[in-house]
Amino acid sequence: MTARTSAASAVSVKEALRRRHARRGGRGYAAARWAAAGLFLAVLLGLVVSIAIDSSQALAHSGIGFLWSGTWNPTANDYGAGILVVGTIVTTFVAMVIVVPVGLGMAAFLSELAPRWLAGSLSTAIELLAAVPSIVVGLWALLVLSPLFANYLEPFLKAVPGLEWFFHGPAYGPSILLASVVLAVMTLPTVVALSRTALSGVALADREAAMALGATHWQVVREVVFPGARSGIAAALTLAVGRALGESIAVAMVVGNSPAIPHSLLSTGATLGSAIVNQFAEAAPGIGTSSIIALAAVLLVLTLAVNAGGQALLRAMRPGRPGRAAGAG
Amino acid sequence: MSRRHTAVPAALALSLGLLAAAYGPSSSMAAAAPPRPANLTATSAPGGPLGPAYDTKTATSVSLSGAGANSINPFFEKVFYEYHLKNSNTTITYSPAGSSVGISDIEQGTVDFGDTEIPMAAKDLAKTPRTVVQVPVDLGGVAISYNIPGLASGLKLDGPTLAAIFAGTITNWDSPQIAKVSGVSNLPNLAIVPVHRADSSGPGWDLDAYLIKTAPAWAAKVGTKPSKTWPLASVGVGEQLNSGVATYLSQTRGAIGFVEYGYALEAKFTNAALENKAGAFVAPSLSSIAQAGSQATGLSASDFSIIDEPAAGAYPLANFSWTLLYQKDPNEAKGIALGKLFDWVVTTGQQYAGSLGYAPLPADVAALAAQTLEALQTPEGGPLFSK
Amino acid sequence: MSSVLGTVRAADSGADAGDDPEARWSWAAGARRRPVIHAAARRTLGRRRRAGRLVQALCVLCAAIGLAPLVALVYYTAERGLGGLSIGFLTHAPVPVGIPGGGISTAIVGSAEIVGLALVMAIPVGLMAALFLHERRGHLAGAIRFGADLLTGVPSIVIGIFAYALVVRPLHHFSDLAAAFALAVLMLPIMIRADEEAMRTVATDLWEAGVALGARRSRVARSVVLRGALPGLVTGNLLAVSRGVGETAPLLFTVAAPSFAMTLLIYTEGTEPFPAAQQTAWSTALLLLLFVLVLSGVARLVAWHLTRRAR
Repeated sequence: MTARTSAASAVSVKEALRRRHARRGGRGYAAARWAAAGLFLAVLLGLVVSIAIDSSQALAHSGIGFLWSGTWNPTANDYGAGILVVGTIVTTFVAMVIVVPVGLGMAAFLSELAPRWLAGSLSTAIELLAAVPSIVVGLWALLVLSPLFANYLEPFLKAVPGLEWFFHGPAYGPSILLASVVLAVMTLPTVVALSRTALSGVALADREAAMALGATHWQVVREVVFPGARSGIAAALTLAVGRALGESIAVAMVVGNSPAIPHSLLSTGATLGSAIVNQFAEAAPGIGTSSIIALAAVLLVLTLAVNAGGQALLRAMRPGRPGRAAGAG
Repeated sequence: MSRRHTAVPAALALSLGLLAAAYGPSSSMAAAAPPRPANLTATSAPGGPLGPAYDTKTATSVSLSGAGANSINPFFEKVFYEYHLKNSNTTITYSPAGSSVGISDIEQGTVDFGDTEIPMAAKDLAKTPRTVVQVPVDLGGVAISYNIPGLASGLKLDGPTLAAIFAGTITNWDSPQIAKVSGVSNLPNLAIVPVHRADSSGPGWDLDAYLIKTAPAWAAKVGTKPSKTWPLASVGVGEQLNSGVATYLSQTRGAIGFVEYGYALEAKFTNAALENKAGAFVAPSLSSIAQAGSQATGLSASDFSIIDEPAAGAYPLANFSWTLLYQKDPNEAKGIALGKLFDWVVTTGQQYAGSLGYAPLPADVAALAAQTLEALQTPEGGPLFSK
Repeated sequence: MSSVLGTVRAADSGADAGDDPEARWSWAAGARRRPVIHAAARRTLGRRRRAGRLVQALCVLCAAIGLAPLVALVYYTAERGLGGLSIGFLTHAPVPVGIPGGGISTAIVGSAEIVGLALVMAIPVGLMAALFLHERRGHLAGAIRFGADLLTGVPSIVIGIFAYALVVRPLHHFSDLAAAFALAVLMLPIMIRADEEAMRTVATDLWEAGVALGARRSRVARSVVLRGALPGLVTGNLLAVSRGVGETAPLLFTVAAPSFAMTLLIYTEGTEPFPAAQQTAWSTALLLLLFVLVLSGVARLVAWHLTRRAR
């Protein structure tokens, strides 16, 4: 081999290696990406596995009846999630009863009725409400709303004829009603922001088509805009329900913490989140802690089911929807 | 190709390793030795062997963390603050999340010391990773505070009436039964809102014990064993910690609830005078609580109740607060710091008790505390403080 | 269709027809002014218009009801918290009840430490995972996306319990590390999704151009993807931070004492009956509120500025 050919072959080997590195994109970078992806999956799986392992002791002790058992007697090591599940569902449901009309009404206002300057600043204001920490909402509800409820709102509601089934019994202030209002305040921004985006995203052509057929403004909104925004609104409501189910600390401050099935909206109650907040630290290690973690497992399953169900709903509603154009936020 | 596929298994192995560390056996969970009963004869002078003979300035910088009773928090806050001013090397943080939290944390070894209003029973002591000793550190009372507009003071209640209020059988302040006992003739037509502790608590145990002793109707409903978890939790409102009960009481007309006297004093609540065993109606105060404490002959962690003592001026709802320490703290510097801290608390620190609503420890109880502290050991088993 | 309406509107108001950006805002005006076409429609027009006005009034009412909590919250927090704010409040450590002049310095420092540590843990992992999703298709990427959406919905108290089991229990003490871990787990899925969305805005041709020029993938990621996605990345990460700063539940079972975290301090002081403690709670709440609002505002501003510059 001459010097030139050996030099040439040496250069070509280096060149081939450089090209191979370029295609691969760098050793560290690929490993970092895979490591991050793997770490994220590890955390997710670790969360589920950890909660499952820690709650297994309680579930083995109490059996599957734990999920609906109505007793909660720490001294006798007898735990059941039934009352708490009922409390969780009732507070979330009442919160949604408040949030759905108010939220959709406000979203419709922002999207359809308000002049642009007003809509822009109000939307920003609502998104700032979303950023308020839940503890601040809880503090305000405990120190400001609770006395107002006890002294004015709850006696008023009790006096309204026809609503006795909902509002009876002693009115203490902390109650299912107050907890539901707190949940409503916390989930309203999500519903308003996402619904407004969805409503604005309905194509102009659809609205104008309806208008040309003689519809009034409200008819267009009812017949064209809302149906066209269905998937976005469903996403908003799913997110809101998921958030309301899992909110723990603000609810714990105002729900009254009584381990009984509420017989009226004015009675005190407890939810899965509030029970965990109040009882985890002091639960006796072993069966006690395991039972509280079992409550967390129930809450986890509930929220995951709502979220996954909502995503499935979105996928079912999305393909082939006429009039879904990209929204101008 | 193999480079890419090693990262994911590595991440999974990492997570498995973390989970194994969380659930695997921990080397510090040694088998617990059976608890040793405290020696009851008072052999040390008040002030204890660790007192004046030892310099309170600890040499090394130590950070102590504790958790436990909410009721002792005003006292602990003050004495730990004062101690830190004299010993800047020792930093103490205390989380007043409740007696049961303290016990649970001691059982799991996540704190250096705990505090509980109701001492740990033998079966709980058996669960701890290392032997735990219980040191009485203060004497406090449980006030029955009420919020009735226009009634500044003077409400008298006895066991059966109080039981009926908390059981929900009496629902309005103008009930004749209350008028008969209370010594006040024109109580307003105001709904009673009974407030209890939603978490397990020493004050709850105290009131439960008192009602079981004095009201047969209560004992019929809840049994004869007092419980830290309020037994009739579906009646009235449950609030977390003394602070939650006190905040709700201050906001709600017609409310009545039980709070540690220190909290009631600071919040300037009106407190009911309770009927004690001698038949007198006694309101909570320094002297009535001190009298209850002075009746504690033969005090120990297993015989601790001073509820409803038969002395004329004794307040029936009083209790000692017990600090939980490991007999052998694995960190010797921390063990010494803890011993010196609590020796100071049960001697010099008691001067701060009175203004906060706690009575100073009686002499024999202070002696018991000193004795228990003397029994602290080094990690190897030798005495931590030589006499 | 729009041209027909445009001429109709022009006939009514003399406005410029085909003015598209204004179209959506004025089409309602057009609906009110255009002539009725069909007889049956004419008959019911009055009733339909009245129904419409009723609904309009309801919508305005809903907007007012929806806005009321925000106004009330900010007003009360400001009114009650402002009085307690001072330089001393920010720089002194907490003192026992009855001694004046305390502050929340330990809580501010503690919160900053916890959030800082959480960011150190979450931001790199979030970026790298988002790059992973951005550059790969297939089942694993889909699973990660789905997992991130699920994890955003997990209640923060459950994450707190996870952090307790994984960090506090094995180490046998409460710590800022455990709290930071909990917050990192909380923020991570939000960051991953937001980062990936931001990266999607960078056109694939640019990325392909970079690779075609022979640059290594990491170089392309750095210079093209990250730089192009910077507004979205900054906004997304800042919003995740503002979410993390405001959380209380994950700190409950991980922090050593309430005086080490602002949100926990609000919880413990706010439930005390003493006016001084409640004042501390309101002032801390006001501080937190201002911080979170400023952070959200900064996020928007940065995004707007960077988007403008990128153009």
